[in-house]
Amino acid sequence: MNGEPNMNWTCEQTESQLSDYLDGLLQPAERAALEAHAESCARCAPLLASVSALVGNLHGMEMLDTPPRLVYAILDKTLGPRETAVAAPGFFGWLRGIGMPRFAYGAISLSATFLVIASASGFSWRHPKLADLQPAAIARNADRQAHLAFARSAKFVSDLRVVYEIQTRLRQDNEIPTSNEDTVPTTTPNPAPGRTDSGKPGAPNQQNRATAVDRNLQVLATTITSRASLAGVPRIASALCLGSGNGRKNP
Amino acid sequence: MEQDAQLVQQCLQGDGSAWEELVRRHTRRIFNICYRFTGNRTEAEDLSQDVFLRVYRTLASYRSAHGGFATWMTSVTRNLLIDHYRRTRRDRITDSLDDAMPVVENKQSSARRPDELALLGELSSQIQAGLTKLSPELREAVILRDLQQLEYGEIQQVLSVPEGTVKSRINRGRIELARILQQMGVRPS
Repeated sequence: MNGEPNMNWTCEQTESQLSDYLDGLLQPAERAALEAHAESCARCAPLLASVSALVGNLHGMEMLDTPPRLVYAILDKTLGPRETAVAAPGFFGWLRGIGMPRFAYGAISLSATFLVIASASGFSWRHPKLADLQPAAIARNADRQAHLAFARSAKFVSDLRVVYEIQTRLRQDNEIPTSNEDTVPTTTPNPAPGRTDSGKPGAPNQQNRATAVDRNLQVLATTITSRASLAGVPRIASALCLGSGNGRKNP
Repeated sequence: MEQDAQLVQQCLQGDGSAWEELVRRHTRRIFNICYRFTGNRTEAEDLSQDVFLRVYRTLASYRSAHGGFATWMTSVTRNLLIDHYRRTRRDRITDSLDDAMPVVENKQSSARRPDELALLGELSSQIQAGLTKLSPELREAVILRDLQQLEYGEIQQVLSVPEGTVKSRINRGRIELARILQQMGVRPS
C-alpha cells in the first residue's frame, strides 16, 4: 500500500509480538500486520483484547502504602536501636507508668491512707505545724485521739443502753391497760338482786394503777435525766421528761 | 538519582541520617516489589528488611557509574526474592495442586485478609493472586515492567539477561497471566 511488503502474520508471530505492540515498539508495518491478523483471527483477537486490558489494569494498580513500622524496623535492623528511641525511655520511661490506671488507684489508696493516719494522729490540716509531724507529737496525739475515740464509743454505748432501757419501760407501761372499759361489760347478764348495774366495778383500781405507773415514770425520768445530763444527752433527757407524763401535766 | 549517589557517599562516610533518608526514599518501592512477588504482606515486610540489611552491608560495592542506585537496589531485591522463592519452594507444593484446580485457587484468593482486600480492591487482589501463579522468571519481569514501570534497559540490568530475553519474558508473562485470570473467571476491564 505504502510500498511496504504485505505481511500476513501467523498466530505465533502475533503472540510473540503482542507486548511490543502494546508497548508501542513495533514499526508501523508490523503494527498494521498484527492488527490485520488479530481482526481476522478468532484465537488472537480475544487474546489481544485480554492482554491489552490486563496491561491497562496492571498499570492502574496503585502502589501499596508503606507499613507504618517498616521504616523504623529497617533502621533498627541496620543502625541498631536508635539513640533517641532508647534514651527517651531511659530518662522518662518511669513517667509512662503514671498514666496507667493501676498507678492511679495505688496513688489514691496511698493518699487516703496517709490522710486517715495524719487525721488520726491529730495533725491539723487548717493550721499545719511542722512540730505536729515529730514522732513524739504524733505518738502523743495518736494516744489522745485513741482515748477520745474510746471515750466517745463508751458514751455512745451508754446512750444506747439508756435509750433501750427507756423503750423497754415505756413498752411495759403501755402493755398495762389504763382503762378496762373495753374489757368490763357495761351490763351484767344476771344482775344480783338489790344492786344497780350502772357503776364500773374496776375503775377505781385502774385509776390507782395508772397513778402508780405515772409516778414510777416520773421517778424514772428524773433518774434518766440525771444520768443523761451526766452522759451529755440533754435532748434525750428532755424528751423523756416530756414523754414520761404520757401527755399529762408534770407535777 | 544524583541525590541517591550523594546520600550513598554520605552513608559511606558514616552519616546515619543519610542512610535514614535513603531508607525513607526507597522503602515503599521495595516493599511493593516484595509484596507483588510474594503476595504476602508479612513476608514482604520481612524481605524488605532483609533487602535493606543487605544493601547496608554491601553499600561500598555500589558504583554509580554502573547505573542508578534504585536499579542496583532493585537488583539486590530481585536476587533476594529469587533466593527466597527457592528456599520456600517446598512450601508451595500445594500450589501446583491448586494449579490443577482453579476453583480451589479462586476460593483461596477470596480468603485473603479483609484489609488486604480493601487495600487492593477485588480486581487488584485477583490479579495479585494470578501473579503468584506465574513462574518467578515471568512474574518478576511483569512486576518490573508493568507495576514498577521500569524501562527495558533497566530490567535488563536488574535481571542480568539480554534484552531479547527480557522482552520475551514480559510478553510470555502477560499472556500467561491473562490466561490464568481467564481460568479464574476474572475478566480484566
